[in-house]
Amino acid sequence: MIATQTITPRLERSYARLGVLLIAPTILVFSLVIVYPLLAAIYLSVFSIYTPTLEGNFVGAANYVKLLTGKAFWNSLGVTLIWTVGTLTLQIVFGVGMALLLHQNIWFRSLARSLVLFPYFLSTVVAVLVWRWLFNDLYGAMNHGLMQLGILDLPLDWLGSMPNAMIGVILVGAWKYFPFVVIAVLARLQTIPEHLYEAAKIDGAGPIARFWDVTLPQLRNVLVVIVLLRAIWDFKEFDLIYLLTGGGPVTSTQTLSLLVYQEAFGLNQMGQAAAYSVGMMLVMLVFMVVYIRKTGKEG
Amino acid sequence: MHSKPFKTPALPRRTVLAGLAAAGATAAMPMRLRAQEQITLRWWSPQSSPEQLAAYQTQIANFEAQHENIKVVFEKTSDEGYAPQLAAAFASGDVPNVVTHLPSFAVATYWTNGLLEPFNGVIDMIGPDKFYQGANDIYEIDPGQYAGTGIGNSAANMIWLRTDLMEQAGIDQNPRTWDELLSAVQKMQGGGIYGAPLPYGRNSMTSLVFIGVIHQAGGQVCAPDLSVNIDTDATRDALEFYRAMREFCPPGATNYSWGESLTAFVSGACATGLYTGRVLTNVANQNPSIADHITCDLYPTKSTDVAPWTFNDFPSVFIPKQAPNMEASKQFAAFLFDPEGYIQQLHAAPGHVLPVLKTISNDPDYQDNEIIQKYSAEVELMSEAAANGFNLGWESRDHMPNAKAGEIVNSGVIAELVQRVVLNDENVDQVLGETTARIEEIMAS
Repeated sequence: MIATQTITPRLERSYARLGVLLIAPTILVFSLVIVYPLLAAIYLSVFSIYTPTLEGNFVGAANYVKLLTGKAFWNSLGVTLIWTVGTLTLQIVFGVGMALLLHQNIWFRSLARSLVLFPYFLSTVVAVLVWRWLFNDLYGAMNHGLMQLGILDLPLDWLGSMPNAMIGVILVGAWKYFPFVVIAVLARLQTIPEHLYEAAKIDGAGPIARFWDVTLPQLRNVLVVIVLLRAIWDFKEFDLIYLLTGGGPVTSTQTLSLLVYQEAFGLNQMGQAAAYSVGMMLVMLVFMVVYIRKTGKEG
Repeated sequence: MHSKPFKTPALPRRTVLAGLAAAGATAAMPMRLRAQEQITLRWWSPQSSPEQLAAYQTQIANFEAQHENIKVVFEKTSDEGYAPQLAAAFASGDVPNVVTHLPSFAVATYWTNGLLEPFNGVIDMIGPDKFYQGANDIYEIDPGQYAGTGIGNSAANMIWLRTDLMEQAGIDQNPRTWDELLSAVQKMQGGGIYGAPLPYGRNSMTSLVFIGVIHQAGGQVCAPDLSVNIDTDATRDALEFYRAMREFCPPGATNYSWGESLTAFVSGACATGLYTGRVLTNVANQNPSIADHITCDLYPTKSTDVAPWTFNDFPSVFIPKQAPNMEASKQFAAFLFDPEGYIQQLHAAPGHVLPVLKTISNDPDYQDNEIIQKYSAEVELMSEAAANGFNLGWESRDHMPNAKAGEIVNSGVIAELVQRVVLNDENVDQVLGETTARIEEIMAS
């Protein structure tokens, strides 16, 4: 009996050590790629630093005071929210719609399911080049088509004036990322039990009623996760907007990511850029907390 | 069957001692003296048209043939992208060995922050007497110390004109003033052709071109002592002119940068253009039907009382201080001016980058080019204009070098001034006040 009591804690200690050993690589990588940059950003944000030399002096909270009292951060935060809400809404609407269509027994369904993923796999640079050509005022297919149809008399300035520029980036963003919603929703649609639809039919429910009362409640959990993930990813989107409009006209499409980039590399003020990125991170923390709570509950 | 006689595997003692002595001597030698160590040099440039890339490859091949242990790798950057790329390179210490074709004001910024290697030695290797007189003055930011040198000159804001359209519109001379230009583009616009491709985008071209327009109104961004002096009547006049020109520009000019503006003229979509001599080669290659109907002139000014102001970005060559293999880097930088490769580089876009060496301008091989011969008057005019050109880093001969010019341009503050007043119709006094404050903040940073 005494021997068993001695062996058990020894085994537990051994298992605990093994556990620490096994999790150590993860913690190490996590620390290097997440914790270190995070702490470095916070550290840099209390300095005034010239980017090319990374030299500067301690300024305390001055960068945060400028963040809170200046217009740049708040303006960009507003732009970021408009972009995120706009593009996310379209992604969800198009994504769910397309998933429902591809769930039907249509011709060439397998081919269509493959093709619909195309925008998501396409490099952002390539996609933006194609869209910029489509939007071109002199040679773009968009203006040419609309003028041929008699909808426009003169070419429209798609990316250089507001609100067209914001509408343009939102549309391109929705086109680029809606396949992610399609994949996730389609996977969930295929697991909804058929008998739920049969029961609804027996109760006299039409196609619309079946969508609202059966499909949508079944999709609720997956949509919550999609909305949260895509909201986080869209919130920090950089390349698509930078390449399409560069943040213009003036600062009408300058999201927080573009503001950070402009401050760090346009003005060479790495400290101020770090302060903006810390502010951005705090906003994203809200999304993250909601996501963790939601996924935690699911678990 | 014969058996080989047994030999001891051990080396003779004398051989071993000799080997040890040689190894010791090698270890004691400085790195640069060791026999033919293989090294790689990285060359960055934002100028990378296919013809220019071919010329660079010739220069690289010629240099590598003379230095068997050196390999040179060319890496593209861009006019809009070089600042962040170089900032990241300097910050990480992973810098290119040689950088070419960046504007002189960028060189001044890097020099004043202690990031560049003095270029005096390279200028000596090229031969100081070969340069046009005063060609390197803009790079002498500290007395006696050169931050770099010019790889060429450029006249970036020449006005390009379609002579056939002018004739059709009954215009018998090139516009000299803004009023004449406005009248000309009004007459030439129509039938799917716009008057001018001026840039209104949030980019460096809008900033750089509009700085020229301010000067063409008789104004300036900074006074000679570098105090900010943009809030003037001249800037207001420049904004009014730019606003007036908007209706003669394509709708998408609100997002135009160098590429779009050039294409708009070369394709025939605009009756006038604003660019360097790259127009010549692009017209020859892409739209030869208008090749006999184009000419260029100095960009018009507010009135004949105001002298033309040509924007020359003084395309440069410089070497980052942190660059490895410094001696080889300097040799390569000097080799870029070797006549064979340099002339091919200049011929890659005739009239676009103009020679800074008088020995090259007079070289029959340089003159032996179809485009240079066909447009000799235009090339001559651009050369003269570029030689008397300025940019924000050096606004006039009375001005001190402005080491903050690069940051002012990269901040987009001038382009935003244009967009807010011309496109958004915001109050000009308020916008100019805010612009002044922002430039002052950059100057003080």
